[in-house]
Formats: sequence, C-alpha cells, structure tokens
Amino acid sequence: MAKIRRSVALAAVLTGAIALASCSSGTSTTTSSDSASSCAPAGGKVDLTFWNWGTGMDKAVDLWNEKNPDIHVDLKTVPNGNAGTYQNLFNGLKAGTAPDIAPIEYDTVASFRLVNGLKDISGCADVGTSASKFVDWTWSQVSEGKNVFAVPQDIGPLGLYYRKDIFDKYGLAAPTTWQEYYDDAVKLKAADPSYEITHFSQTDPNWFTGLLWQNSAKLFGTQGDKWQVSIDSPQAQEVAAYWQKMIDQKLVSTDLQGFSEALSKAWDTDKVLTWVSAPWGWSTIRDGAPDTSGKWAVAPIPQWKAGDTANGNWGGSSTAVMATSKHPYEAAKFLLWLNSDPEAVAILIKETGIYPASKAGADDSALTSGVEFYGGQKIFDTFKTAAAQVNNDFTWGPTMTDTYRFMADGIANALAGKGTLQDTLKDAQAKTIDSIKAQGLQVVN
Amino acid sequence: MSASVVDAPKRRRLGSRIAPAAFLLPFLIPFLLIFIGPIGYAVVQSLQKVERVAGLFGTPTTVWAGFAQYQRALSDSDFVASIMRVLLFGVIQVPVMMGIALLVALLLDTQSARLKRFHRLAVFAPYGIPGVVAALMWGFLYDPRLSPIVSGLEAVGLHPDFLGTDHILWSIANVVTWTYAGYNMIIIYAALQALPSDILEAASIDGARPLRLAFHIKVPLIAPALVLTAVFSIIGTLQLFTEPEVLKTITTTITSTYTPTMASYSAASANDYSYAAALSVLIAGVSFVLSFGFLRFTTRWNGTS
Repeated sequence: MAKIRRSVALAAVLTGAIALASCSSGTSTTTSSDSASSCAPAGGKVDLTFWNWGTGMDKAVDLWNEKNPDIHVDLKTVPNGNAGTYQNLFNGLKAGTAPDIAPIEYDTVASFRLVNGLKDISGCADVGTSASKFVDWTWSQVSEGKNVFAVPQDIGPLGLYYRKDIFDKYGLAAPTTWQEYYDDAVKLKAADPSYEITHFSQTDPNWFTGLLWQNSAKLFGTQGDKWQVSIDSPQAQEVAAYWQKMIDQKLVSTDLQGFSEALSKAWDTDKVLTWVSAPWGWSTIRDGAPDTSGKWAVAPIPQWKAGDTANGNWGGSSTAVMATSKHPYEAAKFLLWLNSDPEAVAILIKETGIYPASKAGADDSALTSGVEFYGGQKIFDTFKTAAAQVNNDFTWGPTMTDTYRFMADGIANALAGKGTLQDTLKDAQAKTIDSIKAQGLQVVN
Repeated sequence: MSASVVDAPKRRRLGSRIAPAAFLLPFLIPFLLIFIGPIGYAVVQSLQKVERVAGLFGTPTTVWAGFAQYQRALSDSDFVASIMRVLLFGVIQVPVMMGIALLVALLLDTQSARLKRFHRLAVFAPYGIPGVVAALMWGFLYDPRLSPIVSGLEAVGLHPDFLGTDHILWSIANVVTWTYAGYNMIIIYAALQALPSDILEAASIDGARPLRLAFHIKVPLIAPALVLTAVFSIIGTLQLFTEPEVLKTITTTITSTYTPTMASYSAASANDYSYAAALSVLIAGVSFVLSFGFLRFTTRWNGTS
C-alpha cells in the first residue's frame, strides 16, 4: 500500500543515517576559544562562500565585491534555517564542506556552539571593539565573556499591531497593560461574537517565548560548566496563566496557525483584530490582508505593570563565521561591514526588509518615514523604542529544537483542551532537562 | 582413487558456487551498501550515546550505552502513545480501505461493468498524486475557514470539525484511504483477472449468481492477493508520516510525536541521533512482528500463503 509514504519515511531514516555517519565521530573537534588570538589576514586574494536565505542580499554582496577586489564573496541562496539549512550546516561542519559564513538565528547560536561549529572571531579585525555599534542585548546573544561567535544582523522587538478602526468604533484606546488587553478582548467579544482579539498559534513557540522574555522569564541559565533550566519559572507561569484564561474563555482563536492562509483570511475579514509581533511583521499583515489597508496601527506592547517598559524579542538573526572557514579574518571583516556600515545596512533594510541590529541603522530614512498601509503612521519609531527595552540577559538553551518542540506539543494540547499552558511549561522543563542530559551535558536542576 | 577423479567434481562444485554469486554481485553490492548498511548503522547507533567532557558545551565523544536508548524509548509515554495511536488507526482504517478496494475490484470484474478502463483509472488516479499534495489538498477541504465543503455543510446546519482533536485521526484515515484504496484495488483486480475462466464458467453453469460467485468463488481464490495488500497496509500504517506531518501545519491538534515515525524524525532533527535510531529500529521491529504475525495467522487460518 504505502509506497509513497514508505519512501518518505525511508528518506527520513536515510537522512538520519547519513547524518549519523557524519556526526558520530565527534571526538576530534577543537574548542573554538583556542583560535581566539590567532586571527590574521591571509594576504593575497581570498574567496569566501556565504549561504543566505531571504531575497535582496545579492545587492549588498555586489557592493562589497565592487569595493573589495581582494576579498570576494560568493553568495548562495538556501532555504531558511529551520527548513533545512541548519541541518546542511551541521552536516557540512563534519564533512568540512560548510560555507565560510552563514546566518544563524539567535536561538540557534547555542546549538551550533554545541557542535563547536562557530569560529570565535573576537580577535578578528575590529570585532572585539564593535559591541557598542549594536543594540545592547544582541551582543550578549552572540558572545560569552570575551569570546564572540557571530555578528548581529536583525532583531524582532515586540509591538502590538491592532485594528485601530475597530478599536475606535467601540471607543477603545490601544491597551497599555495586559489587563487592559484582556478587558478589550472581553468588550470586543461582547460587541461581536465573531471577533477574536488575536490567534494563539501552536507553530510559533518562539512567539510565546518572546512573551515570556518580556516578563523577565529566563528560560535558561548557567552555573559554571552546568546548565540551569528555568522554563517553569513563576514569571513564565504568570504569562501562561494569563493566556490560558484567554483560551478558556474563548477570547482568542485556537485553530489558526501563524503565517497561514487561514490567518490571512481571518485578518482580511475582520475576525482577528490584533497581533503581538515584531517589526518584520508589518509586511506579513500588508501582504496577507490587503483589504484592511489603512486600518491597522502599531502600539507599544502591553505591560504587566502599568508604567513599565519591558520588552521581549521574536526572531532576528546573526551572521557567523563557520568553524571550518579558512579565512576568519576576512569573513569577520565582511560581516562587520555588512551589519554596521550605513550603506550596507541601508541596502539590507531596503532590499531584504530586515529591521537592523545596528543602532545607527534604526535611523535609516526607510525606517523613519510613515508607512502607507498603517495610515501613514511612523510605525518603526515604536520598534526603535522597543528595541532598547528588550531584556538584556535572556539565554537560549543548547537543545532549542527540542525545547521548542516540547512547547509546541504542549501548546497543541492546551489549544485542544487536553492540558494547559501551565502544564506545557512543566512538561517542557522536564523534557528539556532530559534532552540536555541526552546530549551529554550537565544540568544543575 | 586418483587425485584427478576426486578433484574434478570439487572444482566444478566450487565453480558452480561462485558463478551465481558473481551474477548476484551487481544486486548484492548496492543492496548491502544502501540498504543493509544504513540499517546496520542505525542498529549500532541505537546502542550508543553522547558523552561530553569539560566546559558548558564540552567536547563530545560517542560511547556504548547498551540498551539505554531502548529503555528510554519504552518509558517515553509520547512514543508509546504514538504506537497505540497508529494501531487504533490501523484496526479501523485498514479493513475499511480493504473493503472498498475489494468491492470496487469485484464490481469492475463483473461482466456487466461499463467503462471499465475509465473507472479503473478513476479509482487508481489518487495514488498517482504525491502524498504531500494529497494531504495539502485535503487540508484545504478540511480547514473550516477556507473549505467550500465545510461552508456548504454549515449552510445546512451541520458543523463538522475535521481538524479537531476528536476527528483529526479519522480525517487522516480518510486521506490515506482515498490515496491507497485504488492501489490495493489494482492488485486485487489483477488477481481476479488471473482466475481460470473454467472455474468461473463451471460455477455459472451450476447456477451461481454474481453475488454468490463473487463471495464464494472469487474471494477465496484471491485470498493470497488480499493477504498481500493487507500486509502492505499494516506496514504502511506503522510508517504513517506524510499526511500528519503536512496537516500539522494547518491544525493545532497534531504534536511532533503524533506517529512513531514522526517521533523518530523529531529526535533526528534535534541531533539526538542515537535515540532516533533506537526509535527507527523499534518501528521496524513492530512492523516486522505485525506483518509476519499476520502472514502466519492467515496461513494457519485458511491455508493460503
């Protein structure tokens, strides 16, 4: 019967087996801190390979190649990280075929360090002294002590996208606290039962993580050489309980996945009225719900305590020099230029649609003017303020793929009424501890 | 006895052993390399675990772990639940699909069936559609916010929840049945076509009507084909992957360990290769036991093989 199904499963098993073959002999990896000081220019002409997803990067690379005839960058477009490129990179690191440079999202930096896959570039070019060029919290995401493992590229501080026209219609202002947000959800539901204040997605556990981040929940910590898992913290439980109440009272939609056709349609037909999202989310709404042009606005994310200014982050990425690169000096030089040179950052903003991690980049003219879809509002001003308010000390775990998976599974159960978000945190905590131990790492919990 | 008399047959015997082996090589070498090799490697890997020394991230070494990964798998309630889920799925879905396949095959086999070729093709066509596409298409038809079918049903007062917790397993079963009923039908139909016409003629002359002919003459005679398709279906059920994996992106009710293969895939994508290998070996083991057990059972039951 299941010829097709079998072949898919077989392919999965084979991919696994190949990956096994390439990953089992991990005894000879060197710790990257050894090479910290030994980052010297190669002298002569150098060719760098650069894997990247997203469109428009070629414009920035072309400009670099024009200006730097001795350091040529070859750009190769690949699927986004979780869609396969990370796996290719893991395999390539073992096989020695990884590119010189690749984008690594902040939440995955630790996973790459787990396989010693990133070069410590603190001794390369001006990397060691460049921290102040980037939004503060991003630097702690890519460095540990003096060691630097990547250069920040873009960020996703949170803000509230909301349907200003509908809020206005019922005399509601943008909520400034989560309590007000809840009250608005109740009022809107009473006004029209087809309204839902937002969708609670199962496929975006990293969205939920951003909300936990805002409430100072630290999912992970370290004590010396040991990991501490604190997914199930009081701060996280507070967030979970809040959203569980929203789910229980049917104030949020529980059957819409993020970035789905169905969600776009729900936005476009006035069913779902807000989205807590990052600056990159502006085009997601614009493209998904063209009929609602001019009706949306952006407000600061609601706070847990009135008057606070805490924020979290969802998405964004850094660019790293892979451990297999033979030219870390040149690669690091290119990365610093790409992510902090005003001309380069302006191209990234315009062509790839990123929101830059570079502090100066936030003042690019493309980010200081009004956006037509949002009724001419200067929406990026809100995100510029938000970026400076993101908690500084948030740490990702070494097995984030697993942690996200455990959270997504728990959320699925909560949305189906077979559990709660509070349970989700408990389960994710226990299972993550197991998964870190399974990688041979030590946990203090 | 002279030496040559003894040696000659020996040499011939040796030659006659080498020759078939040599002819088999072109098959054996790739078979070993791309089939037995990875399986063997998975078994080896499933008996290992990763240990690290020094530092927050440490330097990894792979060491023997005995059956630790298997112990972990069997005490993993999510994995055990996924096995139970596909067993429940199989107990219902396989008989339903087989029944449909058999009925369609019998209908097509009757003398009076019209447009045989067209109907055969129509039933078989879904099998030609890649599983991912089929799942996406059905997903669209299930999605309450997009589906014309759901809005049609709602217009007459029905509120189906195809993607809800209670129904999602059977929504998947529907996609699987839709895809593979035609494939099974073709195998059964081929067996029917191969039945000796003299037996059927004799039965007709003895006065057997079509219905009696079908269930008392044809079905017992094609039992081996039915057993074959049933075994395929049992194996396929345990390996259920594509449909739930695709539907997972549109419904919030499918977890990453919904089926055993998905559990293994998830472990592999989280770099937990030894555990993924142990899960794969367990899935293979259960498939083997169930399909082989079914074969033994049916052999004893009606003497077919």
